[in-house]
Amino acid sequence: MAEIRLLSEGIFEITKDKRQLATPNLDPGKVVYGEKLVSVEGTEYRTWDPRRSKLGAMVLKKFNIPLRKDSKVLYLGAASGTTVSHVSDIVFEGAVYSVEFAPRSMRDFVGLASRRKNIFPILADAGKPDSYAHIVEPVDLIFQDVAQPNQAEIAARNAIRFLKRDGYLLLSIKARSIDTAASPKEIFTEEVKKLEKAFEPGFEILTARDLVPYHEDHLGVLAKLKE
Amino acid sequence: MKISTWFGVLEMGSKGEILASELFPKDVRELALHSLSLRDSRQNLPPEGFDLKAAAVECRFVDSLSEYYSLLHEVTLDTVKIQISGSLTPDQRIIQAVEALDDINETTNSLSERLFEWYGGYFPESGLNGEALALFIVKYGSRENVATDDPLCLKARDSMGAKLEAADEMLLKGFAESVCSLYERRKQIEAYIESNMEVLAPNLTTIAGPMLGARLISIAGSLEKLAAFPSSTIQVIGASKALFKHLRSRAPSPKHGVIFSHPLINTSPWWVRGKVARALAAKLSLAARIDFYSAKKDISLEGALEEKIRKIRAANPRPPQKRQEGGAKPQKKRRK
Repeated sequence: MAEIRLLSEGIFEITKDKRQLATPNLDPGKVVYGEKLVSVEGTEYRTWDPRRSKLGAMVLKKFNIPLRKDSKVLYLGAASGTTVSHVSDIVFEGAVYSVEFAPRSMRDFVGLASRRKNIFPILADAGKPDSYAHIVEPVDLIFQDVAQPNQAEIAARNAIRFLKRDGYLLLSIKARSIDTAASPKEIFTEEVKKLEKAFEPGFEILTARDLVPYHEDHLGVLAKLKE
Repeated sequence: MKISTWFGVLEMGSKGEILASELFPKDVRELALHSLSLRDSRQNLPPEGFDLKAAAVECRFVDSLSEYYSLLHEVTLDTVKIQISGSLTPDQRIIQAVEALDDINETTNSLSERLFEWYGGYFPESGLNGEALALFIVKYGSRENVATDDPLCLKARDSMGAKLEAADEMLLKGFAESVCSLYERRKQIEAYIESNMEVLAPNLTTIAGPMLGARLISIAGSLEKLAAFPSSTIQVIGASKALFKHLRSRAPSPKHGVIFSHPLINTSPWWVRGKVARALAAKLSLAARIDFYSAKKDISLEGALEEKIRKIRAANPRPPQKRQEGGAKPQKKRRK
């Protein structure tokens, strides 16, 4: 029999043969990217591969995931929606504003977005939050996975505009997209410093941990705006 | 203070109360088009932390939050669909063609090799390969059918190859037909790229030739990105492995990427290739910029490049002297 354990609101660990991360499927019967469906006590769950999702890896690295069933989320770097689909499962009464810059990725994402009422797709540059200011409301969480050299700046710009005073930022920093040659450790120190100091009021870093063994050269950061 | 939102324009008082509102009609397509037009306007942005959904209910655009969200869902989806359908620009089409061409080249090569091996068992003396072999098999099938006026007739008669049975012959002919049609397709795509490059990027086509130009656009991702690249990047496009090896360790920097296939470089003697590549890349980058921003043909570009290359070659008529012993190597020894 499958055993189930709650890790964080809307996020479960299912033990059936092996331990797996999972979220309750908001769109029952449908598979998004080839993940497995598992039914436990009448509820259908979708397994969540931490190697394909920075957020999934953060859950397993014991990050506090500040998501509630009615959270409003601004998701920067939605790509084809692998992780967005799980966020959409978790905040089933909330909203996921999903920003993606590449039309090609958005093409794959549209099918998913049209089946889930809490996803609001936005084809725009996450570095220009003004271009979607007429759509996005203040949010409880900004999740950012954009693989751009100016990640810290993008996070700051979006936080100033959209993050509630008591909201959180979850950020995945990819060392290789900032500098291919420098050592990841130095880059992480540098980026964290930027998050803390480079803008008003600055972020207060709550957790900063690498995502090994699920993602190489990635740093996960949980932060909130300074008082 | 005026605020533009996806559902209408609001006139706000100093305390944040809504004084007046000009709401858009509740039509998904129309709202989506409005939303698109707001994307680039920097005017009347909602202030930081402005609660759009509360305002929408307050000014009676929607009756409830659930109506707000379901309408916004439809509108964002429709907006994205409009954007996606407009995103397939002419340079994206060329990129698809270039990538299809690469796939076809790879496939035809391995299929022709297979055909060569396969048919070799029945007529090893043919001396044909590639398209010529495929055409030969489609025409005759078994070597017994080779016409008497064909130059291969004698060889076919005296061949040491096995006898081709009817069933095998049918199979081979069908296979050869497929290969032929792939060669046909390749020519078609090449012609497509050539004619479209002439329209999309006339200057780049003049300097680089249609195929190399298309390849540069394909690797850069779009003509816009190529136009934004510095010429030093264009010089090493396609040599990313060597470039990163150079940046990470002490490996020498690459002199050229895909632009090596340009006749100016690959017919130059080795000691000026780096210099020629730099000059060529500079002109390629100028050409891409002219093409993207003005699309007019600039006839002076080609002449200027030729002049520059002539000077480089004249200034470097002989290969440089090999470095004397006592350069880098002894240093290593000392370190030991």
